[in-house]
Amino acid sequence: MIRIENLSKRYHKQHGSDWVLKDINLEIPANVSVGLIGRNGAGKSTLLRLIGGMDAPDRGHIHRDCRVSWPIGLGGGFQGSMTGRQNVRFVARIHGSGEDMHDTIRRVEEFAEIGRAFDDPVRTYSSGMRARLAFGLSLAFDFDVYLSDEATAVGDRLFKAKAQKAFQDRIGRASIIMVSHQEKILRDLCQAGVLLEGGKATWYDDIADAIAAYHLEPTERQKDKRAAQQQALQQRAATIAARKAAREAAALRRRPREEK
Amino acid sequence: MTLSTRTPWQVTRSVWHAMFLREVVARTMADRMAWFWMLVEPIAMIAVMVAIRAFVMGRARHINGADFIPWLLLGLFGFFLFRENMMRSIGAPEANKGLFAYRQVKPIDTVLVRCYLEGLLKTFIFLMFVLAGLLLNVDLTPDYALQALFAWLSLWSLGLGAGLVFSALAGLAPEFGRIVKIATLPLLIISGVIFPLNFLPESLLYYLMLNPIAHGLELFRASFYAEYRVVPGTSLLYLWWWTLGSIALGLMLHLRFEMRLKRQ
Repeated sequence: MIRIENLSKRYHKQHGSDWVLKDINLEIPANVSVGLIGRNGAGKSTLLRLIGGMDAPDRGHIHRDCRVSWPIGLGGGFQGSMTGRQNVRFVARIHGSGEDMHDTIRRVEEFAEIGRAFDDPVRTYSSGMRARLAFGLSLAFDFDVYLSDEATAVGDRLFKAKAQKAFQDRIGRASIIMVSHQEKILRDLCQAGVLLEGGKATWYDDIADAIAAYHLEPTERQKDKRAAQQQALQQRAATIAARKAAREAAALRRRPREEK
Repeated sequence: MTLSTRTPWQVTRSVWHAMFLREVVARTMADRMAWFWMLVEPIAMIAVMVAIRAFVMGRARHINGADFIPWLLLGLFGFFLFRENMMRSIGAPEANKGLFAYRQVKPIDTVLVRCYLEGLLKTFIFLMFVLAGLLLNVDLTPDYALQALFAWLSLWSLGLGAGLVFSALAGLAPEFGRIVKIATLPLLIISGVIFPLNFLPESLLYYLMLNPIAHGLELFRASFYAEYRVVPGTSLLYLWWWTLGSIALGLMLHLRFEMRLKRQ
């Protein structure tokens, strides 16, 4: 179970700092997979990084009483100058594997299926290859909760199917907290959903409800925006008309004098 | 692989183990000749320094109680031990940035491991020189071996302290790294590596001996030659105040700014 209490986070920038997340309270039960939904910049990845312990919140606490993975995704997790194999070795070592390290490496190599590139520096990889390696690496360890930040977004069809199957095999033993804009994957893998908007988080017991809410809001907002625009236009037309009338009135008043 | 909850110490140890192996590979296999240059660089450096000394101040070559070339060699090795610890530490968090994705890895681990590795490599290379000195009949064996070891360790610790402080500061403001880089050459001169400080007037010496590196180098040399006369005011205690002070400050900075160093 992961419990988030009064969590707030902001990043300091040169032009002031807004709260990315503000007073978030969530309780993610064990064995419930959650999809984080929100627009770009809503704080999904930030929340995931905080849950993964990569970053510290400015206020509040996160209680983890289970084994949580690092956020798997495009962002990083690999040292570009090291080969894929060296990166895998490093991660296996920091997670304390002893004799079973060779077994771990073999499993990652088999899952990633990137062939001889496994011994090339990671900075030469394509984003799809990185995703394959990152995914394979995280699956080599038995975490209770996997954090995924668009980990499958760039993979090809086969890889996506494979990744999905790997997770479905683990249902009951492990859960996933994922950030994704692919609604199909969210519906397939998650039960619950969290919608992030304006620094606030809303919990939905059913992922379908969260996705529906996510769809609803922008259109509502657009409707509002359109109405506001219409109103502004009307107002402007009104002021222009008023000015015109005033000018004509002034001109009318001036004319008799000119005639004199 | 199944995971069990480990104690913080077990986690830290496995991080150091992994990081050490990663750094060894990066340091010795970075380019084709990395290990070759490790040995040739100090030789070339010493040759250049000897040449400079021979031309610039041919007459004032006499140093009380020690031969000139071994004296210079000890100074260079001691100084490089300090300098490399400091300079390599500054680059350490940046060079391992990709690995901070794992919450087990902290910026301070990269600094500690780099300093440890640097100490091992420098010690090994220095021992090679001592061995060569034995074969060539150059007096490079310490008269007080334990004191020599301790002085070597003191210089290493001072470098570790400086490395901890400046790696944290350079993470907060990169200008610090640049300033330190600029300062190393003047530091080489005022620490009495090439020119003996004994020739300087007392009034100037007072200020130069505020620099802890000079104390470390003098003590290091004194342990090699029983008759060597150290610069007046040389103090092991003063050196260790600096060492312990900078290590404490460095640890505090790393503790306080850990997250900012990770993000950079």
